Amino acid sequence: MLARTALRSTRTFASAKNGAFNFAKRSASTQSSGAAAESPLRLNIAAAAATAVAAGSIAWYYHLYGSASAMTPAEEGLHATKYPWVHQEWFKTFDHQALRRGFQVYREVCASCHSLSRVPYRSLVGTILTVDEAKALAEENEYDTEPNDQGEIEKRPGKLSDYLPDPYKNDEAARFANNGALPPDLSLIVKARHGGCDYIFSLLTGYPDEPPAGATVGAGLNFNPYFPGTGIAMARVLYDGLVDYEDGTPASTSQMAKDVVEFLNWAAEPEMDDRKRMGMKVLVVSSVLFALSVWVKRYKWAWLKSRKIVYDPPKESATRH
Amino acid sequence: MGFWDAVTDLIDAATPWATVEAEAPADIPAESAPAAETTEETTAETKAEEPAAAAEEPEEEAEAEAEEEEEDEDEDEIVDPKETLEEECRNSKECAPAKHHYDECVARVTGGTGAEGEDCVEEFFHLAHCATQCAAPKLWNVLK
Repeated sequence: MLARTALRSTRTFASAKNGAFNFAKRSASTQSSGAAAESPLRLNIAAAAATAVAAGSIAWYYHLYGSASAMTPAEEGLHATKYPWVHQEWFKTFDHQALRRGFQVYREVCASCHSLSRVPYRSLVGTILTVDEAKALAEENEYDTEPNDQGEIEKRPGKLSDYLPDPYKNDEAARFANNGALPPDLSLIVKARHGGCDYIFSLLTGYPDEPPAGATVGAGLNFNPYFPGTGIAMARVLYDGLVDYEDGTPASTSQMAKDVVEFLNWAAEPEMDDRKRMGMKVLVVSSVLFALSVWVKRYKWAWLKSRKIVYDPPKESATRH
Repeated sequence: MGFWDAVTDLIDAATPWATVEAEAPADIPAESAPAAETTEETTAETKAEEPAAAAEEPEEEAEAEAEEEEEDEDEDEIVDPKETLEEECRNSKECAPAKHHYDECVARVTGGTGAEGEDCVEEFFHLAHCATQCAAPKLWNVLK
């Protein structure tokens, strides 16, 4: 900025000297301010002074602010490792048995703090639960009815069209109950976090037994390498054997984390199975049409490709014209 | 679902003797009952073990648990495969440089010879990255 203003000022001086109408010569005139007369000694002094100012400004900064510790790895957080998720392959669906286990983990562990407000009971039918199970689950909770004759709003048991209930009345209540930290809604969390499934799996299973030596952990926070800043308000929640799976799968920490992450991926992308099937249909139809078009082209061009142009020179006649 | 599943589904749907179930088929009681019993047993027993382990010194606790695991092999004491695999990876040859740096940093910081305000977070990150990267495919083979 400073250099630019300095340049501009010399330019204005030069234009003043040459007359304001003479624009074409301006750049040439800025160079001709006695550059040839500069001695090597003066140039050396200028360079040395500029270097001294540069070094001095750095020294001054360190004197004022101490050592610069910005963009540390802790600030960035550890990048999640890539895991070979089967459901993320091109022609693979969700493992719906895993979704069922993951929903159980969500309900028994996560749901006490995290809402899943964009998932209605009806979407669980056929993917995770049967109709009867989903109805029974919906009826466990109460929802507001339409106003009755006196304008009172009463409570009714839940229906399939209702959405999963929130653990807190509003965000303020959630913050108050969690030491000022708001547990995020998990409906779209897989899409909402850099690293997606890998990040959430790493976050859930990545709590070390104790923070590394010298690391500072804020009051009420826990050390998690994958969380940017490494201080996360959520403590480790998944421990071995926390959940009893109905299909007898051993409920180790990583198994529960894997299942619940796959469930959260389903919550964020419930259309994934259909989307992949539609993609396959598109590939099938377009490949058939492409093959057809190649044959049609061959047919339409046949007369042109198979024609033969022959030059038949006239016979040499005896008489010359 | 592969391509041939789709074909067999189509054939199944076209055959007149096919049955279509809108609801999940009824549970087979023979399978579910023993599973429920075993899980109840394990929870009851782990609950009984917890106070005994908690009463002991924390240093001895790990040893006591290890002994219990050896004793109760048939009870399916759950061990997280991620922990064991990553421990193996941490001590493997490919993570040796990261582990060496981390151990050196811990010794330096706890010994008080490091720079002021130094922490081992970066070294920890490198070690954790190496260990998880190495354990990831093995872990997915073990998990369901």
